[in-house]
Amino acid sequence: MNKEALRSYDDKTHIAGRISMISILVILLAVPLAFSLHYNVFPNIKLLDLGQLVGIFIMFYATAIVETIAYTPLLGTSGMYLGFVTGNISNLKLPCAIAAMSKADVKSGSQEAEVVSTIAIAVSSIVTTITLAVFVLLLRPILPSLTAEGSLLAPAFKQVLPCLFGALAASYFFKYWKLGIAPIAVLVIVLLFSGSIPVGTLIPIGVAVSLVATHLLYKKGYV
Amino acid sequence: MDFREDSFMLILGLIVVLAISVQSVFFLIRAIRRGREIGVSSLVIKNTVISSVLFTLAPSLAIVATVVALSPSLGIILPWIRLSVIGNITQETTAASTALASVGDGSSLSFAVTDKGTFNVVMWVMALASSFPLLIIPLMLKRLQKGIKKFSGNKDSKWTDAMSASAFLGLISAFIARSIAGVGTFNSVSGQYNYDGAGLISAAALVSSIIAMIILQKIALRYKIKWLDSFAMPMSMLLAMGVVIVLAQVLPESLYQLEWRMPQPTVG
Repeated sequence: MNKEALRSYDDKTHIAGRISMISILVILLAVPLAFSLHYNVFPNIKLLDLGQLVGIFIMFYATAIVETIAYTPLLGTSGMYLGFVTGNISNLKLPCAIAAMSKADVKSGSQEAEVVSTIAIAVSSIVTTITLAVFVLLLRPILPSLTAEGSLLAPAFKQVLPCLFGALAASYFFKYWKLGIAPIAVLVIVLLFSGSIPVGTLIPIGVAVSLVATHLLYKKGYV
Repeated sequence: MDFREDSFMLILGLIVVLAISVQSVFFLIRAIRRGREIGVSSLVIKNTVISSVLFTLAPSLAIVATVVALSPSLGIILPWIRLSVIGNITQETTAASTALASVGDGSSLSFAVTDKGTFNVVMWVMALASSFPLLIIPLMLKRLQKGIKKFSGNKDSKWTDAMSASAFLGLISAFIARSIAGVGTFNSVSGQYNYDGAGLISAAALVSSIIAMIILQKIALRYKIKWLDSFAMPMSMLLAMGVVIVLAQVLPESLYQLEWRMPQPTVG
């Protein structure tokens, strides 16, 4: 594969990604607009407590910038355009892509990795979309019995993340155990001081600590 | 008919779901074609598809649980739309509850929203709050990638490999650390404690998943079962979830709900 062909594939991915993402943004904003027009109701900004709203907007937008920067080297080009549209990146799309790349034994950042991670994220998005649609549209009567607080399956749903990341950690940490010590140790210490820090905040801290520690280990010749 | 769940809302939901499905299918087909061009084997593609399906099923049901949790207040369609596009559990619940609080008429996620105006405010806030990545990624991504490439371009491949593995490890560490030492949260809908902090069950879930993965990989290696190696990860996750369900049934409540630290409930 020559460089020019590669560049043209990557350029086309950006074009397709941009068009699809902007189109979905328009559709997303058209939903509340359609409701406003259909029922002739529009938010009266003067009556809203804007202080509270500005607070969450700042929080969400800052998170979006941090997540965009943090996930760019991990998700690949198509993965970024796809993953950010369907969301649940850190708890679903990214672990799914990491697992697929690890199993396929492809080098991160390579063309093969881009293919494998795109397939994983696309399949994961399709499965999530179908699962949500099927449960919401067809299985509504039995939904509460599956997911309600006291149901048989509810305890397992609460522990989805440790169950998912345990398997991922077992695979990854055994391969790179030297690199895993610093981020886990630092994050556990951080949580001992402030246990309620959400995982969305812990991820950029973990990634930053991990990168610095790996760079130092590399310089000292341990990697 | 309830305006939150009428055919108009249903059509809006179907349009959104159709749009994101088209995008996913388009990128899937494109990636498979590309894979064939550059010599990725059909077996790798097939295994990636199957293991991603298995990997996604259980977390998807957890997302369904969020839709259900928000549905008494917002109906089922709006949470379905929001959780299908961009949305994640924490953000959507935060956005919806803040939007309701900003209306100032006593609305909250604990009660059904019956006023169309209030409902529309929630729709706008949820959409505008979460949509920012869809604006910045088309603008920033290419430049960001160039910057990263430029930064790592001069380094040797050993350094680049280690740094890319270490970024993954940083992400995984966040979730592992949360299961070891995190404090739980309160349900913003019911106000009740979620029992999702680090404790006996989260540790059991984590350890079960790690042990299952090690055992399955060893079996796959010793008996040369290739398919088992490919599906060890989703199977470990499901096995660990099975362990949690069994523990929930057999352990006394005091042990099952044992967490290392309990948070102080927020007042107000």
